[in-house]
Amino acid sequence: MTSVVIVDDHSIFRSGLKASLDDTVEVLAEAADVDAAVTAVTNERPEVVLLDVHLPGGAGGGGAEVIRRCNGLLDATRFLALSVSDSAEDVVGVIRAGARGYITKGSSAEDVNNAIRSVASGDAVFSPRLAGFVLDAFGAAAGEQAVAEDELDRLSAREREVMRLIARGYAYKEVAAELYISIKTVETHVSAVLRKLQLSSRHELTAWALERKLL
Amino acid sequence: MIETPAASARPPLVRPRRAVLGGVCAGLSEHLGWPVARVRLIMVIATILGGAGLLFYGWLWALVPLDEADEPARRRAPVAAVLLALGAVAAVAAVVQANITGTAPTAITLALVLTGGAVAWSLAFDDSDPLRSARYSLVVRVVGAAMLLATGLLLLASGNWRPEAMTAVFAIGMIVLGMGVAVAPFVVRLWNELMRERSGRIREEQRAEIAAHLHDSVLQTLALIQNRAGTSSDVARIARAQERELREWLFAGEGAPGADLARELREVAATIEVEYPARIDVVTVGESVPAPPPLVAAAREAMLNAARHGGGEVSVYVEAAASVIDVFIRDRGPGIDLDDLPDDRFGVRESIIGRMHRAGGSANVHRGAGGVGTEVHLHLDL
Repeated sequence: MTSVVIVDDHSIFRSGLKASLDDTVEVLAEAADVDAAVTAVTNERPEVVLLDVHLPGGAGGGGAEVIRRCNGLLDATRFLALSVSDSAEDVVGVIRAGARGYITKGSSAEDVNNAIRSVASGDAVFSPRLAGFVLDAFGAAAGEQAVAEDELDRLSAREREVMRLIARGYAYKEVAAELYISIKTVETHVSAVLRKLQLSSRHELTAWALERKLL
Repeated sequence: MIETPAASARPPLVRPRRAVLGGVCAGLSEHLGWPVARVRLIMVIATILGGAGLLFYGWLWALVPLDEADEPARRRAPVAAVLLALGAVAAVAAVVQANITGTAPTAITLALVLTGGAVAWSLAFDDSDPLRSARYSLVVRVVGAAMLLATGLLLLASGNWRPEAMTAVFAIGMIVLGMGVAVAPFVVRLWNELMRERSGRIREEQRAEIAAHLHDSVLQTLALIQNRAGTSSDVARIARAQERELREWLFAGEGAPGADLARELREVAATIEVEYPARIDVVTVGESVPAPPPLVAAAREAMLNAARHGGGEVSVYVEAAASVIDVFIRDRGPGIDLDDLPDDRFGVRESIIGRMHRAGGSANVHRGAGGVGTEVHLHLDL
């Protein structure tokens, strides 16, 4: 059983999303704006928060602001960002604030349920689009490659392989089979990429998003 | 009601756009079937005999519409210059007369009306007339303004700087009008620009408001429909097509124009999605490169196959660099085996593999990861 809090300012979408969640997911609370979301998450301590990127209220920071204000809870509570748009600014914003994954609102019910389970078990959720964005933002498509193990601004060769396969629509277990590595290793690579995405100061991460507006 | 043939045979009374003055005589002669010289002669005679011709001309000018040709009116007669010249004569006469007799109301009024008329004509008609250069209009206005100012000052100076009261009033009126003429075009232009900018801003604001509203309500609902209806259902397909259309409208003009490969493949995917129960996700990475037609055609064929035989979720991944393009099309359908393929399956062999080879690239059709579905890999060195 995974406990979740749904944060979205559209009641239609909240109820629709709730109806599409399967039996293994329990909805503890719902919230419609930034302040209500922070209160709900602090009180209920869910395992996963389904968080809309665009939210009214608070200081106007939307979903990213909710994550920042719940900063102390990030060990126990994971945030999965939902967005109707693929705008890179939005996605990069919530990911860098600390979200563990991102999916579009048009994803199928099955995808949403799988994403909730992955995030709850500590994995990062990468959509093909997010993987494509990462490849571009870290210059991997142009052949840039990390030299040192702990480098934050470039991807290692393996991470790049994994990202490319995810961008091609491969599931984690298919990536594992393709590269002859275990699923656990794939998950480690993806988490490492997520960490780089959150901590890196590559200017492309911000400039890219602003420049192209679309992911 | 019976239409008489005579009435329908007569051309309608309109003023042609290529005219000497207002196009009244030309239009009238066309309408009546008379030679244009005769019409003009009648007009001139009627004008000399009590001015009825002039009134009639003005009346027709005001009420008869221009013809429907789509071009600016051209007037051959340099009316503004003629008026200006007549105004100058009247101004000289006014100054001379004022210095001799003290007053000259008729000449002063004539000078005012003629010069003012010249500037007004220039502002109203010459600006849109291709026969008049911008410099001509400028000269008319500058000369008109200078003439009014100079005449006004000379009139004030009449009688050894002690003009008659009436003359002084006219003179000051002239100076004010002269200044107005000098400033008017700038004021008019500034005003027009201000209005244009304002209406543009209002339109932009309205559009942004509508976009925000649609983004908040309709797009959310469309996303929800897709989420609830499942990938392959008709409802989800329609919702997705609608979402894409709406998005294109909302963010129109933000993307780079031109035949970019990523853009073309997205368009191809969109048209295929409308016809087949599939959801095609196009992810593009790398530089923006022009679209090589054979690659687009092969990718289109591969997407079509994936949508037709695989259905469901189709992933398209495009990686483009300056010298090499890779495109992967992947579905999760039953999968095909190239060796088992009957020879009549022209699609894969000819339109994908053959086409890529002819273009100097390569195509590789194989089973997807874990033996699920099909993956097509197109590779092209530029």
